[in-house]
Amino acid sequence: MKRSTEVFLDGKRHILIADDEFVNREMLENILCDKYDVLKAEDGLIAYDLIRKNRKTLSLILLDLMMPNLSGLELLDRLKEDPDTKNIPVIVLTSDQASEVESLRKGAADFIPKPYPQPDVIKARISRSIELAEDRQTISATERDDLTGLYTCEYFYRYVEQFDKYHPSTEMDAVCFDVNHFHILNERFGTAKVAEILQSIADCLASVFSSSDGVLCKMGEDTFLCYCHHRDDYPKILEKISSGCGIKMRAGIYASCDKNLDIQSRFVRAKIAADKISNAYSVFTSTFDETLLKEELFAEQLLEEFPKALEEKQFQVFFQPKYDIRGDKPVLSSAEALVRWFHPILGMISPDKFIPLFEGNGLIAQLDEYVWRRTAERIADWKERLGISVPVSVNLSRAEMYDSALVDTFEKITGDTGITPKDIYLEITESAYVSDSNQIVNRVSQLRDHGFFIEMDDFGSGYSSLNMISELPIDALKLDMLFIRNAFDKQNDTRMISIVIDIAEYLGVPVIAEGVETEGQYLALKKLGCAIIQGYYFSKPLPADEFEKLLRS
Amino acid sequence: MLTIDSLKAFGADTDDALARCMGNEAFYFKLIGKVLDDKNFEVLEQAIHAKDLDKAFEAAHALKGVLGNLSLTPVYDPVNEMTELLRSRNDVDYTTYLKAIADKKAELTKLLE
Repeated sequence: MKRSTEVFLDGKRHILIADDEFVNREMLENILCDKYDVLKAEDGLIAYDLIRKNRKTLSLILLDLMMPNLSGLELLDRLKEDPDTKNIPVIVLTSDQASEVESLRKGAADFIPKPYPQPDVIKARISRSIELAEDRQTISATERDDLTGLYTCEYFYRYVEQFDKYHPSTEMDAVCFDVNHFHILNERFGTAKVAEILQSIADCLASVFSSSDGVLCKMGEDTFLCYCHHRDDYPKILEKISSGCGIKMRAGIYASCDKNLDIQSRFVRAKIAADKISNAYSVFTSTFDETLLKEELFAEQLLEEFPKALEEKQFQVFFQPKYDIRGDKPVLSSAEALVRWFHPILGMISPDKFIPLFEGNGLIAQLDEYVWRRTAERIADWKERLGISVPVSVNLSRAEMYDSALVDTFEKITGDTGITPKDIYLEITESAYVSDSNQIVNRVSQLRDHGFFIEMDDFGSGYSSLNMISELPIDALKLDMLFIRNAFDKQNDTRMISIVIDIAEYLGVPVIAEGVETEGQYLALKKLGCAIIQGYYFSKPLPADEFEKLLRS
Repeated sequence: MLTIDSLKAFGADTDDALARCMGNEAFYFKLIGKVLDDKNFEVLEQAIHAKDLDKAFEAAHALKGVLGNLSLTPVYDPVNEMTELLRSRNDVDYTTYLKAIADKKAELTKLLE
């Protein structure tokens, strides 16, 4: 690439004619001088000197074989041995066929016979040879990744194609190696050190997969693709990388891949498998199967249809009643708003299918705000029509806690619908507090200052330190559902629950238990001092009109 | 005075040669003038007399290329035949070839006057 730019500084490519016969040199120069800048040499040694001097700008050499001092074939040998000159194409000028073959074997690009053919033929052969040589240079400049020396993606796919062509029935794996938590690596070590790590990963992979075993490439920042003979020692390979480079990698393996699929699709499958374990700390290999693809395609479909679903109000808010069990009889005290997606074709889609998905890419903010507003409208409607004021809690995602306009959003919703902050409770998951406590705590305090009631959701799952809990701005603790399940499932050990209830008492806030399914659980929780209960034992989440019936009764 | 017609009459394939000269007659004539001065004619003759067949081959081979490019067929033909014989270093009597070459070269030189 460097050469071409220099070549074009004065607009024409440079050609050297080496021939001891004046007439032959002149004749060629006359044919070529329109299109090329021509240098001339009348013997092999002069030619060699000129080539050395102009090695960076010469596009082609026309070489007579029989010359005094240094013959054409000897000169050709010298040029091909020298890395500086070996890529300059040489066309041999000759009148006998025996030398034609020999010169091609020695690395000549082509030959032009004597007497010369028509000038058009000469020009076409020269231009073709230059083109091929320049293409080859472009290829060698783009075919390999600068940092690691592995193939770049585009060339990798081509080599895989070639590999398949010559080994149609070999059982092959498409593998995607990813560095775990790569972005953190950059932060920890700095880019220079990370570059070194990537290089050593590449070296390590290259030592495992020799060129007869497979083809390797580096894709994007931290992904390595490998197309290789089927094997099952991937965990060992990862261990080798881990011990050699001090880095944890994961491998997504599409084993014995289907060769009817195009190559990109095979590696998409390997990548899906690798992504599947991107957050796992102790699993390092993942093998692709069709269910993974189905899940991925399903997720894609949901993402794609989300805007339309929101517009067409396919999302509905359900209400799961919460009962206050402190008195003699349980009393309906509030509810939690839960979203359901009624898809026109797929039917009802469960929230655990789409909530994590939308949390992953920010769509959750749109969905949540939709749910908050629908909920506020319902609360307002019940207040107005039935004269019943029942607070409903809505869920906030961790990402929304960083939104500086969050308080304004809620103020606007309550203002628009005519309800008060006391009518809508906010459930904030415990893990949100832990991830960036200062900022989150400030945001929660802000909401509380505006009169909103805060329930800490999933308490017991986020590993809050006891130290920190005492400072948290909360109005209720909501027990993680797993607590209830573990406490009643096997050992019937409710000691953890009573500890949490003690903490709540210390903080002066009520404990809410969700996921309560049986009378036994209800009675035990009541006995332990739990204030509010939500769960199938009392009611599943209900559509608005059914919840309304419950309110009326 | 050299003309295309006189060269044609001499037996040169002027169409072929002119094409190689990009149709430039003056350039063609200039190159013909140069080939008549080519020292390889002399070298060839001396080498044959000295029985230095390697050197003779080199000279004949070089001349063959030039004469072929200029399509000076009457001179080219004997040079070409000699070249092929010399390629395998045949120790034959080359006098008739040398004479034919010298005659045709003289004829050509005359056209230039």
